[in-house]
Amino acid sequence: MIKETVIATIQDVVDSFSDAENVKIDENSELFGKNSIIDSMTLVSIIVDIEELFSDKYNKEICLTDDRAMTREQSPFDSVKTLIDYIEEITKK
Amino acid sequence: MTYNGKIVLITGTSRGVGNKLAEYYLKENATVIGISTSNFSLNGLYDHYKCDLSNGNEIKDTFRKISKNHSCIDIVINNAAILTSQYSLIMPVKNAEDMVKTNLLGTFFVSREAAKLMRKSEYGRIINIGSMAVSLEPKGDSIYAACKAGIGTITNIMAKELSTYKITCNTLGITAIETDMLNQLPREKIDEIIKTLPIPRYATINDIINVINFFCSEKSSYITAQTIYLGGIH
Repeated sequence: MIKETVIATIQDVVDSFSDAENVKIDENSELFGKNSIIDSMTLVSIIVDIEELFSDKYNKEICLTDDRAMTREQSPFDSVKTLIDYIEEITKK
Repeated sequence: MTYNGKIVLITGTSRGVGNKLAEYYLKENATVIGISTSNFSLNGLYDHYKCDLSNGNEIKDTFRKISKNHSCIDIVINNAAILTSQYSLIMPVKNAEDMVKTNLLGTFFVSREAAKLMRKSEYGRIINIGSMAVSLEPKGDSIYAACKAGIGTITNIMAKELSTYKITCNTLGITAIETDMLNQLPREKIDEIIKTLPIPRYATINDIINVINFFCSEKSSYITAQTIYLGGIH
């Protein structure tokens, strides 16, 4: 369920804010780095929307940019898949 | 500019400049969302939220409530501030910390949470109230002036970040105006400072509204990261 929700949220943000046209988001889409199809502020919007979604829909406060996220060897923001894995990990606890 | 249908959020509406601004924008048919540390109400399309602006998490919670009642915010006026004017050597620790939390961090968190709502409508005006203290650096105002200078820096950096969403961020550096805050200061000291201004008089609420209206105008979409001082200060 988290996977579908996160992908839908990212798709929504990309459609609204990104200059890239007709981009289909899937697990392999890169969010950060030279092959990313989005700019830094679109990634910021994605983070804000996912945090708000968990707060509003699931009544769960998550922070995707705290030290835990930013100091990992593999960044949660490398791709949609790493982000989903990270969210599943922190929401299980 | 017409404010009919616009939603204006103002901090510090229970007294002083914030109170006068709230009354003005209500009269201009805007919906006004007020935030202050106490319960408060005004007639008309006024929606008040009690919030400790020195507490970032409380600001976040307050915006969660606001977003349930209002789908967007068009204009934010960060006006709330506290002032302890005291020589650095004898400034109480708590008063210094409270000024940083309310004046600097409070402004940052309110701007940030409001911008989250504004970005969806791709329109927004954030106006932060600065002070002549930044330019004049009067004795006793080290922390207050530093906070207000910091607000200018926050404004300019947020202007860069938020331009993607067509949100503008500007600072209005006001001079002394007859308010409760002014009464906390020695009047002779303020009178002396006012005498040195290019236009040597106290500000009026209309001086403040005039510049805010300029920043808010639809025509000011290309005006961002600017500071306008009243009274000829620069």
